[in-house]
Amino acid sequence: MATANCWRCLGRPSTQRLLAPSSLTTFKAPTSVAAFTTSATLLAKDDSSFSMKGHVRTGKRLVLGKKKKGRGDRSKPPGPGERKAFRKRIQLSNDNALKVSGLPELEAQKLVDPAAVGQIVSLPTDLVDQLRTVEAFKPTQNWGLFRSPHMLVRKDTVDFLGDLTKRVGNKETVRTVIEGERSVGKSMLGLQTMAAGFMNKMVVINIPEAQDLVEARTDYSPIPRTTPEQFSHPSYILKLMQAIRSANEEILSKEIVKLEHIHLPVSVSRNSSLASLANATKEPEFAWPIFNALWQELLQPGRPPIMFTLDGLSHIMRISDYRSPSFNLIHSHDLALIRLFVEALGGKTHFPNGAAIVGVTTKGNSLKVKSMDKALEQAAADQAGLPIPERDAFYSKYDERVFEALKGVKVFDVKSISKLEARSLMEYWAASGVLRMRVDEKTVSEKWTLAGNGVLGELERASLYVSRL
Amino acid sequence: MSSLRTGSRCLRDIRQPGKAATVPWQSTSKASLAYRPKQPFNVTRFIATTAPRSAETTEIIPSDLESADQGQSAVVRVPYARAVPVSPSYFSRKPIFNDAFVVVQDLARKYARLPIIPKDKVTPTAWRTKEQYRLAVGEHAKGRDYATCMKLAKRLNQIHPDLMPEEVKAGLLPFKREVNYYLNQPKIQPIDQYGRSHGVGKRKSSVARAWVVEGTGEVLVNGKPLSEAFGRVHDRESAVWGMKLTERLDKYNVWAMVSGGGTTGQAEALALAIAKALCVHEPALKNPLRRAGCITRDPRKVERKKHGHVKARKMPTWVKR
Repeated sequence: MATANCWRCLGRPSTQRLLAPSSLTTFKAPTSVAAFTTSATLLAKDDSSFSMKGHVRTGKRLVLGKKKKGRGDRSKPPGPGERKAFRKRIQLSNDNALKVSGLPELEAQKLVDPAAVGQIVSLPTDLVDQLRTVEAFKPTQNWGLFRSPHMLVRKDTVDFLGDLTKRVGNKETVRTVIEGERSVGKSMLGLQTMAAGFMNKMVVINIPEAQDLVEARTDYSPIPRTTPEQFSHPSYILKLMQAIRSANEEILSKEIVKLEHIHLPVSVSRNSSLASLANATKEPEFAWPIFNALWQELLQPGRPPIMFTLDGLSHIMRISDYRSPSFNLIHSHDLALIRLFVEALGGKTHFPNGAAIVGVTTKGNSLKVKSMDKALEQAAADQAGLPIPERDAFYSKYDERVFEALKGVKVFDVKSISKLEARSLMEYWAASGVLRMRVDEKTVSEKWTLAGNGVLGELERASLYVSRL
Repeated sequence: MSSLRTGSRCLRDIRQPGKAATVPWQSTSKASLAYRPKQPFNVTRFIATTAPRSAETTEIIPSDLESADQGQSAVVRVPYARAVPVSPSYFSRKPIFNDAFVVVQDLARKYARLPIIPKDKVTPTAWRTKEQYRLAVGEHAKGRDYATCMKLAKRLNQIHPDLMPEEVKAGLLPFKREVNYYLNQPKIQPIDQYGRSHGVGKRKSSVARAWVVEGTGEVLVNGKPLSEAFGRVHDRESAVWGMKLTERLDKYNVWAMVSGGGTTGQAEALALAIAKALCVHEPALKNPLRRAGCITRDPRKVERKKHGHVKARKMPTWVKR
């Protein structure tokens, strides 16, 4: 019969000895048990609290005057704004991703060609620079996963841009609000719109984040001799103007100043180009008058068409966080730059050369603005030829200025993508090495369903979630 | 649970075949076997001795009374000097089981030569387990005895159904459950005129109803696409898990309504509902779906809170004073 303890030794049998031969554990008092195996020792819990430590409640007692110094991370903490800059950085290439060859380059024709639906196209370098300058790329888009920027030409793109380019070509003014579910690709369609604008030689002005203008993040100053009193964002407008100039350099440098700008604080000669007008000042305090002058110049007949886009429409349809000298909150539409956009969107500004005014709504970061929702609902019903829904009679806070700003706009609803488009996108991902699975009908339809019947952002989330940086 | 009967004979005498008619419960059975049907248990088990006595000794007692009335000195001709229990196993603490056991033993001996059919051909029978029998009868039948008894009972049950005697059927009755659940037939769910099938699933406190129709893989939950209904990709996957594993994701459309509980519960309730509705279209998928874990309802629920506890199990923090 096998005994529980070692029969060679004279130690008395005990469970403790069976579990942990203490000859292996140096910190314990040595006993005479021979260690045949180490597994029991390894399995045995450290019961040092049993014997070595003091009281059972040692850790719970209040200990004063023993503050540990010099522990933890001693490296310098990131400076102010560094974390945000890192969070908001836009990375457009990734050398670790595989290069996908054989994809066509984007041309103006590709964006309006129904045959190109479902194709992945690469963005030309010049266009990437231009788009980057006007901040068309968003930090939420996964450009950093791929070797170089590519995009999918989807059916919505062709539908929207085909109509837009045709009408702008006829010198009409296109006033549209892009709507859609969350992460369905609204900002991406905005980017494609801007790409079409650049390729069709339009002057592209983009406000990448409307909330930057209303949430009291940038400086503002009253504009003298305006009724009602208006306010400008000097530094923001200066930056915007520089972005406009460098992105549209090719067009603006060809255009000559036509108007007399005697009231401007800087002298602008008649023969200088619009690019030099945009570059006329580095002083924030002169930014608004010069921007206004540039805008007036662009509205002159014979100029190239204008494309004015803004992302985050709901933010400018409310009362801003800025305050007037009398400490009243300023309505967003009294901020000069937003007023410019809103008047253009509402149809108050006349564009003799044709223009595309596009407001992109957001779903992820957006406010609930009932006036805007109702106005867009009415616009959509009007567009579809349905009876126009009435305003809610029991809601008294409708903002008349919002209805004014969205009068007669077209609403473009971005839909989810088809399985065919999803397939070509997933094949591109697989070729780039970020999607490590076979792309066949089964996987495509599985991801398509998981992505809520083809919501593009969700498709990315469902497929690339593991490899997202 | 005692039934007594007056009589002077010893217990062994009662079982003599010639005098069987004097025993009340034997009088009901036609056979000579010591077989006792179920009904007399309830009828004759009582403490009062008068009723059985009057039933049996009606011929004797009036003469006894007469003689008693006529003269005190007359010898009273009482048939039994003392009360005798109805059941021979009255003193065994487990009379009902013992009687039933004896009946089964006798039946087994009597019908040992009847032809039997193989076990797999016998109609499935829901036997009482030992615990169920103990509960039903109220006696602590010994496990070994019960096992022996069941062995015989199952052997008896194997007798060819055409030759199965009535008394065997009756004798096995105490060991069978009231409802033979093996004979239950599942209700067949229909596919309606539009080609929809309906399934219901539950998990935690969520209830999901799903209508499945042939299609291209569109899923709408409470009127919203899957991505809006469930924020987590994991939940979306678990909602369509059954369809995914059986590769039916692109062959059906789902329209579902979910209510109650949280997102995880809703997603898993939906998985069950979809799987059930899928089984209506393709019954052969039931086993793969069961292996995928989409058929069995998870019975776990929130454990109730107990007094003296902060939650179900958590105890209040220890304080010194």
